[in-house]
Amino acid sequence: MSLRRWSVTLFAALVALVTIAPLLWMVSVSFMVRGEAAQFPPPLWPANPTLENYRLLFGTFGVGRFLLNSVLISTLATGLALLFTIPAGYAFAKLRFKGRDAIFRMLVAALVVPGQVGMLPLFLELKAMGLVNSYAGALVPWLAGIFGIFLVRQYCLSIPDEMLEAARIDGASEGQILRRIVLPILTPIIVTLAVYVFLSSWNDFMWPLIILADQDLVTLPVALAVNSRQNVQDYEIMMAGAVVTTLPVLILFLALQRYYLSGLLTGSVKG
Amino acid sequence: MAGLSIQGARKSFGTTEVLKGVSIDVADGEFTVIVGPSGCGKSTLLRAVAGLEELTGGSIVIGDRDVTSLPPSERGIAMVFQSYALYPHLTVRENMAFGLKIAKAAKSEIDDAVRRAAEILNIEALLDRKPAALSGGQRQRVAIGRAIVRQPQIFLFDEPLSNLDADLRVRMRYEFASLHRQLGTTTLYVTHDQVEAMTLADRIIVLRDGRIEQVGTPRELYERPANIFVAQFLGTPRMNILPATIGTDGRGALEDGRSIALPPLAAALGAGTPLSIGIRPEDIAIGNAPDALPFTIRFIERLGGLATLHLGGREGDEPIACQLRDDGNLDEGDTVLASLPPAHLHLFGADGQALRTVGE
Repeated sequence: MSLRRWSVTLFAALVALVTIAPLLWMVSVSFMVRGEAAQFPPPLWPANPTLENYRLLFGTFGVGRFLLNSVLISTLATGLALLFTIPAGYAFAKLRFKGRDAIFRMLVAALVVPGQVGMLPLFLELKAMGLVNSYAGALVPWLAGIFGIFLVRQYCLSIPDEMLEAARIDGASEGQILRRIVLPILTPIIVTLAVYVFLSSWNDFMWPLIILADQDLVTLPVALAVNSRQNVQDYEIMMAGAVVTTLPVLILFLALQRYYLSGLLTGSVKG
Repeated sequence: MAGLSIQGARKSFGTTEVLKGVSIDVADGEFTVIVGPSGCGKSTLLRAVAGLEELTGGSIVIGDRDVTSLPPSERGIAMVFQSYALYPHLTVRENMAFGLKIAKAAKSEIDDAVRRAAEILNIEALLDRKPAALSGGQRQRVAIGRAIVRQPQIFLFDEPLSNLDADLRVRMRYEFASLHRQLGTTTLYVTHDQVEAMTLADRIIVLRDGRIEQVGTPRELYERPANIFVAQFLGTPRMNILPATIGTDGRGALEDGRSIALPPLAAALGAGTPLSIGIRPEDIAIGNAPDALPFTIRFIERLGGLATLHLGGREGDEPIACQLRDDGNLDEGDTVLASLPPAHLHLFGADGQALRTVGE
């Protein structure tokens, strides 16, 4: 390897280390005894590793319930988002209907409006529908994201019309074409979208905070924020909470990153 | 199997009329090729037969069924696309079986149909591969296999050889011809390549600007083109067209002041009548003859056995192409004597329509 390549590799390794160090320390602190992390200088590794923080978290603070809420909401959000977004993106790319391009342009234009701007009107709407303080209310914003529709549409544009026409000649209905031809081809983008929606809804703080008032319904990030206010000195418990919040999505992402990356790259690589 | 009848087919995209009343009858078992320059509406016509485009006017009858408003799958057609349009995530076997599976055919029936088609096309060894692992020619064969499995009344081919290299195209052309002989299915084949049209067709339909220019066997179209467009579209190098007028002596006066003898039918035309004289490159005779004219060889294209001479009379005139066996004795800049035998001349009126062709 040349010197140039060595230096690039070294630089990349340093950046990776700086990025991952807080995560590693988070895990490390979560196994420390109370007060250990507050010493100066802070220790890198726990002197006597303990599961006490996790026991406290799941026992006294009832984090299991919040974890379940988060899993439920994120899973449902992902499923529902895929259910609505994929057919919509496909239709915008491949089906001919009146006003198709005008509607799509309008949707894309709406992308520039920050999500926070829509939160109050959305809240009032859901309040009128009686969905405030319910899982349903927490799920509504995820149903059909414009970004997802855009992503699916762009990918669908690369599917040749002739392939769909061949399926039509073969006697497939529009539903069968979507299920048996388009969906398998869309796999990389579906995985990408699923990971994206799951991560976003899992990490979402603002909307669950607004819409979910009942303590039994709140998600992990919200619960953790409340918890951190109560235990502001207890780094170890907070870090254990952070691990519980981060680890599931981290594992999901690592497991699917092969598809995720190929999905993100498709637009530029595919002709 | 069945015949195909298209009557008064019209199709507009917005204000652009692509098909302007096309009527075609294809006999049962016939191999008909629609040929024309790009944008002439040939693919649109084929797609209308397939049911992929709705006609603005006119009707399509397959066998004795009016299919004009039927969906593609109920028309009894199978189509092979230029891009093959194979399903990339399915194996060759699954690609070929897809239509029958959708129709919920029995597994044994599907297996039989796929095996038979694979045997015909010699692709049994490829059945478990995915399209990405096939060469262009193999993909084309799978696409044809998918069409055969449907046991259609009519095969539709949309420029199926355009994506193949020259060598493979010649081989696939031969395979198309023998496949048609074997299956005897009525076939409508669209191409812009006149060689494909000439070699494959029982009958050729020449289309231009959404209208039919001429219909006939390859030989008829080649020997008796109805107009200058057809005359020049079929044959490489294309037919030479020389603008001329009828001289007072009844001979054809060329623009460069020289004259040539015309076939007897020119006798009916009065002196001063403008016309275009057409002659195919291979019909020009080089050598001394009573009516031969001197020409300079401006350029020679040597093709091995054959050579195409580009002959110029005057500087600036469109050169006349002349094809002959290459004996290597001629060179650019040489002057040769060339005669245009009256028996091989095609005469076209000022409107470009054939006055009457040779041999009549």
